Amino acid sequence: MAIRTANKVAAQQGLVTGWRKFFSDVASVFEIRLILMRRSWYWYMMGTLVFPMGMFYFASALAPDNPEAIRRAMIGSMVFGATMLATTMLGQSLLFDRFQHRLKLIITMPVSRVAYAFGVLAFGGVLSGSAVGILMVAALIAGVDFHFTWAVLPIVAMTLLTMSGLTLFVVSYAPSPEAGSIMSNLLGILLALVSPVYFSMEQAPAVMKAFGWVSPLRYAADGMMKSLSGQSDVLVEIAVLGMFAAVCMGIGLWKLRWREN
Amino acid sequence: MTIRMGTMVSASNGRHGDSYGDMPLVVERLDKRYKGGVRANRGISFEAYPGEVLGILGPNGAGKTTLVRQITTELLPTSGEIRVFGVDAVSDPIGVKNLMGIVPQEAQLFDMLTPRETFRIFGKLRGLSGRDANRRAEGLLSELRLEAHGNAINMKLSGGLKRRVMIGIAAVADPGLIVLDEPTTGLDPQSRRDLWNLVQEHRARGAAILMTTHYMEEAEALCDRVGIISKGRLMSLDSVAGLKSAHGFDFKVTYSANGENGATETIYGKDDHALVEQVRAKGIRQFSVNRTTLEDVYLALTGDEVKRGGYSA
Repeated sequence: MAIRTANKVAAQQGLVTGWRKFFSDVASVFEIRLILMRRSWYWYMMGTLVFPMGMFYFASALAPDNPEAIRRAMIGSMVFGATMLATTMLGQSLLFDRFQHRLKLIITMPVSRVAYAFGVLAFGGVLSGSAVGILMVAALIAGVDFHFTWAVLPIVAMTLLTMSGLTLFVVSYAPSPEAGSIMSNLLGILLALVSPVYFSMEQAPAVMKAFGWVSPLRYAADGMMKSLSGQSDVLVEIAVLGMFAAVCMGIGLWKLRWREN
Repeated sequence: MTIRMGTMVSASNGRHGDSYGDMPLVVERLDKRYKGGVRANRGISFEAYPGEVLGILGPNGAGKTTLVRQITTELLPTSGEIRVFGVDAVSDPIGVKNLMGIVPQEAQLFDMLTPRETFRIFGKLRGLSGRDANRRAEGLLSELRLEAHGNAINMKLSGGLKRRVMIGIAAVADPGLIVLDEPTTGLDPQSRRDLWNLVQEHRARGAAILMTTHYMEEAEALCDRVGIISKGRLMSLDSVAGLKSAHGFDFKVTYSANGENGATETIYGKDDHALVEQVRAKGIRQFSVNRTTLEDVYLALTGDEVKRGGYSA
């Protein structure tokens, strides 16, 4: 009843309400990030380029000289780059908001935590998506043999949601900005390097193989490998990643502190 | 914007009133017990009226910020009720935040945004449409005398200007209730005066303003009523004159009992002549007579010892 009353008041004042307000809030939080990025775009660009490109050339140099292995190096770098951008850049943004008391300013507004989280995640998604796109262009220029299929998009989206959810969770638990920074970096490195991302499950050592069964990045890398090789049977990977995304985002949003007891 | 959020102007008397609750803020029997068992607020009840500045004074750890954080919906009360224009702060935090502007104690601006961008984006977060948010941003820059700094990034602004931007964010949708948690802490005297003027402007427009402060002269100069909190309890709530009168402090005489180098003592009473006679009777010839200040009342209510000349000295 009270909610209806307050919304009625807001509507009477000509204020935006309901779903329109939710999407407007997501866009406003995204816009804040975009303006911050515009003011120091060169560092963001470096971050978006250096991570995945560096890893791509490093992995290509180590990979056997066959198209399959080079494709895997490219896909591993995409997953690694997108994951690191999602966890480190998103983690840093959330940590700064939380510990430099900017989040407090957003909390004073009639904005839901879901809208805030989606605004920040959308920005993280754009960065990570850019990294994936840039790598595809770099791979094309380098003559890597791959076939783009639309199945890549849901795989990338689910992977980003999963990593973003985990980052939200880790950042909400961080006792200090320094610890939070280490925690989010560790999360990315642990998942991206200990999961079979740069090689298949069959090639992975026993420990990594065991970890690979529960790591979302293994499914991301396998799904992308299949879809960029022109195969269409990626429903299992999309379904598993979808479950990871739902659970991780659920936990991340649940832990995001908007109100204390 | 012609209508203040959360209120409708009554045609009959021109005063703010509305069908969802006339009172900008009603706090009833508010109790907050933290998980460790600390009871930060104990049975606090008060109201804030339209067009008044209500100050909350109290020593560090008295429970001021806990009180404010519950009103601004950041913290859940253990028991009691908070209503903003009739809307329940516990069950409808977003609805309540639609009706009030908040300047939290520790919040920081986004360094790399400009004041113009800040007002526009926060206007949209308050529910204004893009066009209204743009218009309001320009209006606020003018109202807050920030035109010259509209395109400078927040990081480059002085502490006083940053605080003005904060007030602008709180006032962006012209709310009927503004909550300021220690808004002038750390500001130089001129910036503090500027901020007082802004608060007075909003009061003149009919908004209720709840503010916590450490500064007695600020409370005395700005607040229509002052509440004093100690150990989680609201000890007293009245106008400054009312507080002084209720506690029997009209005058004070300060003297040194052991010559110039001794510690000073102060006695209080209603009659300055009687106080002077009392000091002279002790053989003291050097003393000062002053009207009591809010600080004297505050010290008495928050537990510090004072001598009441008229009663027990």
